[in-house]
Amino acid sequence: MRFAENDIRVIRNISQVAGIFTLIVGLLMIFSLIQLKTINPLDNPALLSVKEQFDKDQENAVLAEQVRAMDLMARKAYFSSRRQLETGSWLILAGAVVFIICQRLIAGNEKIMPGIPGSKPDEGLRQQRYRKYLTGSAVVLTAGAILASFLLRSNLPDLSGNRVKALSAREARKAQRAATRNEFDPDDTNWPVFRGEDGRGIAGGSGYPLSWNGEDGTGVKWKTVIPSDGKSSPVIWGDRLFVTGAEELECFVHCYDKNNGTLLWTSAVSGLPGEPAELPKMDRDAGLAVSSAAVNAKAVCAIFANGNLAAFDHDGNSKWAFNLGVPANIYGYSSSLIIHDDILVVQYDSDEKISVMGYDIENGELKWETLRQGSPAWSSPAIGIFGGITQVIINGNPFVSAYDPSDGKELWTIDCMYGDVAPSPAINSSMVFSVTDYSNLVAIEAGVTPVIKWQDNSYTPDIPSPVATDEFLFLVTGYGDAVCYNTQTGDTLWTHYFGDQFYSSPIIADGMVWFMNRSGLMHIVKAAGAYEPVAESQLGEAVECTPAFSDKNIYIRGRKNLYCISGK
Amino acid sequence: MKNEKNIYQSRRDFVRKAGRVLVVAPLVAVPLALAKKTTASGYVWQIDPFKCTQCGQCKTHCVKTPSAVKCVHAYVMCGYCDLCGGYLRQGVKTISTGAENQLCPTGAIVRRFVEEPYFEYTIDEDLCDGCGKCVKGCKDFGNGSLYLQINQSLCDNCNECSIARSCPAQAISRVPADMQYIPKEREEGHS
Amino acid sequence: MVLALMLLWQTVMMAQDRFPRPEFESGYEYPEHQLPLQRAVWLEYVDVAVLIAALSVAAWLALKKRSRNGLVWLAVFSLAYFGFYREGCICSVGSVQNVALALFNGNYTIPLTALLFFIIPLVFALLFGRVFCAGVCPLGAIQELTGFSPVKLPRAVESVMAAIPFIYLALTVLFAATGSQFIICRYDPFVGIFRLDAPFTMIVFGILLLLAGIFINRPYCRYLCPYGVLLNLFSRFSWRHLSITPAECTECRLCEDSCPYDVILPPEKAEYAGDTTGSRKRFLIYLVLIPLFTAAGSVIFFNLAPALSKVNPDVKLAMEIREEVETGTEATSLAAVAFKESGSTEEELFTREMDVIKKFRKASPWAGAFLGLALGIGLVSLTIRSSRTGYSPHRGKCYSCGKCFRYCPVQVKKDKI
Repeated sequence: MRFAENDIRVIRNISQVAGIFTLIVGLLMIFSLIQLKTINPLDNPALLSVKEQFDKDQENAVLAEQVRAMDLMARKAYFSSRRQLETGSWLILAGAVVFIICQRLIAGNEKIMPGIPGSKPDEGLRQQRYRKYLTGSAVVLTAGAILASFLLRSNLPDLSGNRVKALSAREARKAQRAATRNEFDPDDTNWPVFRGEDGRGIAGGSGYPLSWNGEDGTGVKWKTVIPSDGKSSPVIWGDRLFVTGAEELECFVHCYDKNNGTLLWTSAVSGLPGEPAELPKMDRDAGLAVSSAAVNAKAVCAIFANGNLAAFDHDGNSKWAFNLGVPANIYGYSSSLIIHDDILVVQYDSDEKISVMGYDIENGELKWETLRQGSPAWSSPAIGIFGGITQVIINGNPFVSAYDPSDGKELWTIDCMYGDVAPSPAINSSMVFSVTDYSNLVAIEAGVTPVIKWQDNSYTPDIPSPVATDEFLFLVTGYGDAVCYNTQTGDTLWTHYFGDQFYSSPIIADGMVWFMNRSGLMHIVKAAGAYEPVAESQLGEAVECTPAFSDKNIYIRGRKNLYCISGK
Repeated sequence: MKNEKNIYQSRRDFVRKAGRVLVVAPLVAVPLALAKKTTASGYVWQIDPFKCTQCGQCKTHCVKTPSAVKCVHAYVMCGYCDLCGGYLRQGVKTISTGAENQLCPTGAIVRRFVEEPYFEYTIDEDLCDGCGKCVKGCKDFGNGSLYLQINQSLCDNCNECSIARSCPAQAISRVPADMQYIPKEREEGHS
Repeated sequence: MVLALMLLWQTVMMAQDRFPRPEFESGYEYPEHQLPLQRAVWLEYVDVAVLIAALSVAAWLALKKRSRNGLVWLAVFSLAYFGFYREGCICSVGSVQNVALALFNGNYTIPLTALLFFIIPLVFALLFGRVFCAGVCPLGAIQELTGFSPVKLPRAVESVMAAIPFIYLALTVLFAATGSQFIICRYDPFVGIFRLDAPFTMIVFGILLLLAGIFINRPYCRYLCPYGVLLNLFSRFSWRHLSITPAECTECRLCEDSCPYDVILPPEKAEYAGDTTGSRKRFLIYLVLIPLFTAAGSVIFFNLAPALSKVNPDVKLAMEIREEVETGTEATSLAAVAFKESGSTEEELFTREMDVIKKFRKASPWAGAFLGLALGIGLVSLTIRSSRTGYSPHRGKCYSCGKCFRYCPVQVKKDKI
């Protein structure tokens, strides 16, 4: 665009006006900004002191009036300076735009006068000079960096031990690699904790019954009424089956002969010192017996929502018992126990304290306690073996963490869960899968530095825990969507809507996944990458617990009854 | 002379081609490496009300004036108290809407009578500047039904959130864009 | 765009139920919870589409249409769209950090749009040179539009300052990869102007930079922009590039001083290039020095790692807490107070701190090696003299702004016709 000399003069004038306008508005705005940010009218000392005076003499109507007046003034000042800033920034922008446009027009209108430069500079000399500058500045910067690296070290931890540690870490990694593959071979007979051996939801053995009908007794070996209520799931050692129950404040452990359903003994776990006189706060119909017992060759241990923790030998003689302190949280304590090498691991989640503890199963002595971070969770621990190291995995909020069961040391932790974490982790030979409703399903590659391999939030159970093989991850949501994922990629391989609620966690047994819905219907599906239903069998009673699998029989706790299913 | 020029020309062409291969390699490798770590929906910033300590930085450190952080009210958690720790200054003796009794510096909480003895408290988000004073009051003396959230329609969704950087409790983090709020009301659960 | 939390839950539990939930008799209903949502995700893909379109237009304007005016108007559009409408976020410059964080941090998955914003301008640089800088980058655009009267800096200053972006890039990637900070975003000078709202210091820095930019054009691009380092590298090997003249260069020398960035390369006769044995010897010496510089850089940065790790909030907090433990001076910063309230132990904090320092120890040598390598290659390239006919822009450093077009008499003649 070409302009006449006159037009250019006009443009220059406009640009000058715009420039001055912008400058003035800018200055005003800076002033306003200072006012807003430094002498914040809402916190101005005069107002605060009047308020203080009023606090001392609250009957004084004059003072009250004074506070009101000053408060109104302060708010007016605050909001008007906020408005000023808003309009000011638009004005300044407008001014700047006009100024810039004019300047551009002026600049564009100027004739360019390509200067005829003198002699061409010698390229060689130029390069030589550049090299000198570059080397010079590199030297200065290097000196600065070296100086800084020593001067800015103060107050940092002692790093000298670092190298030794790094070396030992390397050794450890080597050992890890050398360690054999993480074999998991669940026992045919024993179902020692919630969701079976190591709490992984995987049963040993085969030949479990596929069809039964609890209503007419088909395939039911025996059925017996459990004398006390509870949401805890049965556990089995040898020929004995253990469940916990509670009637109001009284807590019990019941032991049955798993072959014929005879109640062998019942032991009370009540009246311990420190036990609360009333039910702790919890969800309406939870009760005290929500956590499942844990059993090994030496003892059966049980924990209740009032904090009572007890161990009995297999004949019902008390080994030890005490109250841990009430693990009070909004829905009530619900984490189950787990045992590894005679160490009883307790996940303790209350509003007051969140920790994980290890007790000597022989004498109830506290071996270790590790505090955890975050909010209470309602999940149960499970045991995994990664890199040859046995570790207790806890789904917490927000951390999924691993602890060494022998000394409680935190092995790794990762921040990835939020919300009400109730499902327990699923574990295979290299990964941990954590999930909860209104959050994500997170696949974590376990290790010293855990890595999230994939996440998905399409299907998130609120209560049932997922279960995993090396290839597949199965889960069912609270409202009945069953899903199978590829563990490596996170691809959804199949989904199927079962159309009922689920509280019970699915179990993998005999190459099949066993999904028990809340009204007592067991869906049995091939544990494969394609949906292939095998059978459906009705128990005829509502089920909220997770079944136990042992020696070709399935043990299911219904609302009232305990069933042993043996098939035809 | 002509020949020599060709040598330089071809040498430069060779360097250019080799360099092109060298720089294309990472250009292809980066998306491949990140193939599994890419999300189509992105993130937004949000405050975890369970970690928040109401330090007041949200009001001052947001790049927006006023801050995109606002107080929200979980009505279902509220006790509808007459003596409200979030509405009234600590220690006041008369319970009224007088400015001398109000805790909120901008008067952003509206108190409304519902029925004996309940009062409803509503946040006027236009006035709220996210200082968190009422949240602290409600947490310390009430049910904790008031809490701070980043109002997503005001938030610029900066690549690095300036309040997240200064948040002493590290309560602000990226959350998936399909779950933009962390509500304090929670559903019932079992184990 | 409003998420209304329908409160139909049968039993909503309370976090701290000091006061029971009232049972209303007057038929009071809970107000609906209005939680407005962010800008829809598909709009982010519109941004990507706009980016691609703008880059294509820029390439066409710079290489084919050869229109300086067109580029200026494109800059106006980009400034309005990516700057004022999108408020400077997301930008390709900042996306470097997202990529670094995603590559080196297990917990972070990168939004696809950020990845695209990172890659697409580089692809265009590889095809057509730095057309992104010419009129698409909002940071470049605001400086392009305010650079009225260019002044040339002494070459000594210029050559030293040009090293800063490399250091900035190395630190950016280091800090992002260790999950410590996004320094590009934190010290972005113009984002406050785009938003018409920012902390004081940010605005002042931005305005000062723009004022300086009136004379020293594009100061951010030349002396700070870390993404420019990558664009520079990719553009060097570009398939096509803007040329000063539309025809054969007549070596009239009129354009020689026209570039405000001083990146027009004069012609060089073949006999100058590589004639002396001295220069060949120098070339070999510097070539041998490259690995040496690289090694030195990594050693220096390995040593510097603990000092650098202090930008990490965990390390900063741990330092304060350790001070309290060792000397008894109470830690009073907000972070320290919040930490004490949180109930996590000092042991945990110190482990986290060590983890961060370890990460820095692992990552820093690479940053140092990169800088050493860059220095080495820079020095080697300063020993090479290649022959050239005609005036041409330096492919790496040219912003494809097109200011030189109208200094070429052939172009001027063409425009008149």
